Amino acid sequence: MDTVVLLALLGSALRATAPLLFAALGGMFSERSGVVNIALEGIIIFGALAAALVTYFVELPVISQTPGASVWYAPWIGVLAAMLVGAGVGWIHAVVSIRYKADQIISGVAINLMAIGVPAVILTGLFGNSATSATITNRLPRWGEGAFQFSPLVYLAFLLVPITWYVLFRTPFGLRLRAVGEHPEAADSVGVSVTRMRYAGVMLSGVLAGLGGAYLSIGGFNQFITEMSGGRGFIALAALIFGKWHPLGVLGATLLFGAFQALETQLGGGQLLPPTVVQSLPFILTMLVLAGFVGRAIPPKAIGKPFEKG
Amino acid sequence: MSERIAVAAFALVTLVALWVAPWAAFSRETGSRAAVILLPDRVIDFTGRTEPLSVPGQGAVLWLSVAGLVVVAGAAALPGRARYGAWLAAGALLIGTATWGLAQFDAAVETRRAQAFQEAIAPNIADPRANQDAERLRQLSEEALTRPVTVSVELAREAGVVVRRLPYGGSAPGFAAFLTLAAGVAALLFGLRVWPRAGRVLDRVLTAVAIPAVSIALALLAAAVVILLLQPTPVGRDVVIEGPFMALAGRLDTLWHAYYILFSGSLGTAKGFFDALSFATPLIFTGLAVGFGFRAGLFNIGAPGQMVLGAIGAMFVGLYMPGPRWLVLPVAVLAAAVGGGLWGAIPGFLKARFGANEVINTILLNFVAASLMLFMLSSSPTFAASAVRVIQLIAVVVAASVVGLLVPPVRRVMRISPRLTLALVAVVALVGAVVVAQPRPGDQPVVLNLPFKAPGSEPKSYEISESARIPRLPAMFGIDLSVTPGTNVVPVDAAAWVAGLLAVLAFVAAGALAAVRRRGFLARLLAALVVGAVAYAALAALGWRALPLAIDPTNLNPSFLIAIAAAVFVWVFLFRTRYGYELRATGMAPKAAEYGGANIPRNTVMALAISGALAGLTATHYVLGGALEDYGLRQSLPTGDGFDGIAVALLGANHPVGTVLAAFLFGVLKNGGSAMNIAFTDLTRDVVSMVLALVVLFIAAKGFLPERLTNPLRRAQALGDLPEEPAGGTPGGDVPVVAPKVAATEGDR
Repeated sequence: MDTVVLLALLGSALRATAPLLFAALGGMFSERSGVVNIALEGIIIFGALAAALVTYFVELPVISQTPGASVWYAPWIGVLAAMLVGAGVGWIHAVVSIRYKADQIISGVAINLMAIGVPAVILTGLFGNSATSATITNRLPRWGEGAFQFSPLVYLAFLLVPITWYVLFRTPFGLRLRAVGEHPEAADSVGVSVTRMRYAGVMLSGVLAGLGGAYLSIGGFNQFITEMSGGRGFIALAALIFGKWHPLGVLGATLLFGAFQALETQLGGGQLLPPTVVQSLPFILTMLVLAGFVGRAIPPKAIGKPFEKG
Repeated sequence: MSERIAVAAFALVTLVALWVAPWAAFSRETGSRAAVILLPDRVIDFTGRTEPLSVPGQGAVLWLSVAGLVVVAGAAALPGRARYGAWLAAGALLIGTATWGLAQFDAAVETRRAQAFQEAIAPNIADPRANQDAERLRQLSEEALTRPVTVSVELAREAGVVVRRLPYGGSAPGFAAFLTLAAGVAALLFGLRVWPRAGRVLDRVLTAVAIPAVSIALALLAAAVVILLLQPTPVGRDVVIEGPFMALAGRLDTLWHAYYILFSGSLGTAKGFFDALSFATPLIFTGLAVGFGFRAGLFNIGAPGQMVLGAIGAMFVGLYMPGPRWLVLPVAVLAAAVGGGLWGAIPGFLKARFGANEVINTILLNFVAASLMLFMLSSSPTFAASAVRVIQLIAVVVAASVVGLLVPPVRRVMRISPRLTLALVAVVALVGAVVVAQPRPGDQPVVLNLPFKAPGSEPKSYEISESARIPRLPAMFGIDLSVTPGTNVVPVDAAAWVAGLLAVLAFVAAGALAAVRRRGFLARLLAALVVGAVAYAALAALGWRALPLAIDPTNLNPSFLIAIAAAVFVWVFLFRTRYGYELRATGMAPKAAEYGGANIPRNTVMALAISGALAGLTATHYVLGGALEDYGLRQSLPTGDGFDGIAVALLGANHPVGTVLAAFLFGVLKNGGSAMNIAFTDLTRDVVSMVLALVVLFIAAKGFLPERLTNPLRRAQALGDLPEEPAGGTPGGDVPVVAPKVAATEGDR
């Protein structure tokens, strides 16, 4: 393989990693606080939808005056909307699983189910078709050179790795978050509000997963398509386990999965393997990884357990 | 206390609704436009071309309803027995009034339709054409008011006149009538507390259904917001909505009609009922699958993938197994179960052996299964020669590793450092892959021609052989609708079906009767058989053994019975076998079960395999039963049913009986969703899928109800009387198990 192909491969690997990284880092905040967040997939979808819709409606007044006009702020407002909607959906998950002590997996599944039905309903109401939104004109800009032109969100994703590490391991907030996930009773006894920390963790995970969704719809593409997440939320969850709930581990895991997805694009297209075979490879790889071929992962101790204040 | 407030509030809301909400609707036409009647005698016409209809006695209906509602609301302030007595009386009054009023409305509509019928055939009576029987028509016109209009129309057709488009069609009760009835039923129900025994039964029933009922109600309420946002009030071309009053009536009518459509199609007609059962069939399977997993403490989100593998298994047997039907069909059903079961066993094995989380693995396997199906149904998938070599290499490495593990000396060496061995194997495989992947001269891409793929670009397989097919319901009664459309009326032995159903009901009901249950399983069975036999004899005497019934085209097929059988199997397995007991113990308290001798790894694999097999059996409906247009594997296999199974299992409390009922409810909703697509311009069946998701969310949150209502023990404490009956009388007998724990927490405070 020559250098150009290799560089292109590397570039697309980084691009494919970004949404996974957002979701996985988000999942880390939630799971480190003791709440399983299987709803990542759904939050990505909601984030993608919000970003596309808000961008579309912000640019609409200008576009309808002068078609093709540039509205530089539109996608950024879309990104903001994705973060807000992500936080909102995270909040739903938090209320149901923290306040009402629901089974966290069931609550997450419910949100994922909603991410199938609700976008379809909204799209039907707005555009009269249940599968796609209208295309947007102003997507996020790209910064960089040659094969390394990335959406700002890609840079942000990688920048978030050290930030997450710092927040989790070097700030009081991070210490409390981890304490609440490891031993809520102990945290409670020294005056840390378990409920509030968990709400924060889950909603932060919503913000980050929402960013991942925004990258999919207005960073890497120019419209929202149902099922555009394509299981990224679940792969991110697997990467979280694979990366042992640590930012650096998660970075490695998502890079691996991202590289695989990039390979998929290169291998597919009927050149080497049928696309259907290539599509299933990341999932099979994830399963092999989860089966512990690379060592066992120890989750936060109190994960999945509602906290009963005694 | 809260009960009083709730009933009173409901009565007051109904009171308001009596004035502002439509009481009945008529002349419903395409696009769901209608004219509505508001009590006492106002008609609002949204179609723009309906003659007004006045119904006698509506004033009386209004004032009697108001009186009843005021009594219900006012009685909430009365003490105990007086309150219940007043509620009983007022409830009966409300139900009676509403029923009478609706009967009046129906009669008025029917009369006007009969008059319209008379007007329609009048020209033909005066001036008959050659093929028309004037004398007969005159007779029909005179008798029109004495028989149902539909019958008159039918008879007129025999006499040579085809009457189309009679006015005032599509009449139905409205929102206000429904609320009045509901308020009456609620008052009657809570009034039953006059008798303390009935009150206790009521309490128990309310506790049991509180969470699912409230969850469904909340989900439907949320759907109401969506419906109102999406669907503007449908109006005729020249109709302008004037004033807030008309606007409100229109909105309420839209909302009410949407719900009405959702339920009436399935519950009002035989065809709709069959269609709902057809929608419910796969949901029973997947609901059982998920529920079975829950019972064992495992979350099987892999039902979609297991459905696919079941369908593939059924397809293979259906396509390639020769032989008679009695052999092929059972083997095909078995293959569906085995396909799903094996796919389910994979995450089971991974969990049992490596401790890998089954939630994520089942999800991942869904994607793999989807890709596998796409691969199998894609036309001529192409592999590059080097890719084939890599695959062969991987196969050789895997085979060598397995063989190595089986040979003791090699195994011993490998066990010294499993990680190093793994790394070595990986490196060898990787290097080998790079080497063989290099292009060689003379490489030709390998094109697979899958023998089962139907030619053409459509992703579907060939149809399976006749002997593997489960006929659809009309075909079972000897009707080939493609050959003889219209002649779908055949004598049906309804006696056997109804008697069978009654026997099953008797069996279930006998379980609730302590007197019968104490005498054991055989007594129950005997009682059910006696009920069935008596019913059959009685119905046969009525002539139901050959009842002429119209069988409309429906996808319903006997796989529904397989689903019921699967539910029975799950019930017997879980609650009547040692394995089931062990599984449930594992699900409730894994450590205790292990201490008690349960083999956790084996149970995990077995539970997920059975769960997968249940999901795989959906293929009996979709592939063997031909519910997807034709009898074959299609990419349109609705794997979303696997996710809906989660909702079904939750709603059915992971119990087979509850699962069947929940699946039926969802079948009704899905069928109603299709009807909604047709009836409204801006609503789609996605609303229903949203409702299902919300039901899951709300049930997970225990209906947002306070714990004193959802926890039976807490409720008893709140009411001030713990259940008097001994534990043996309550199903499951789980109260005493919980009691010490709760008592301890109470003491700690």
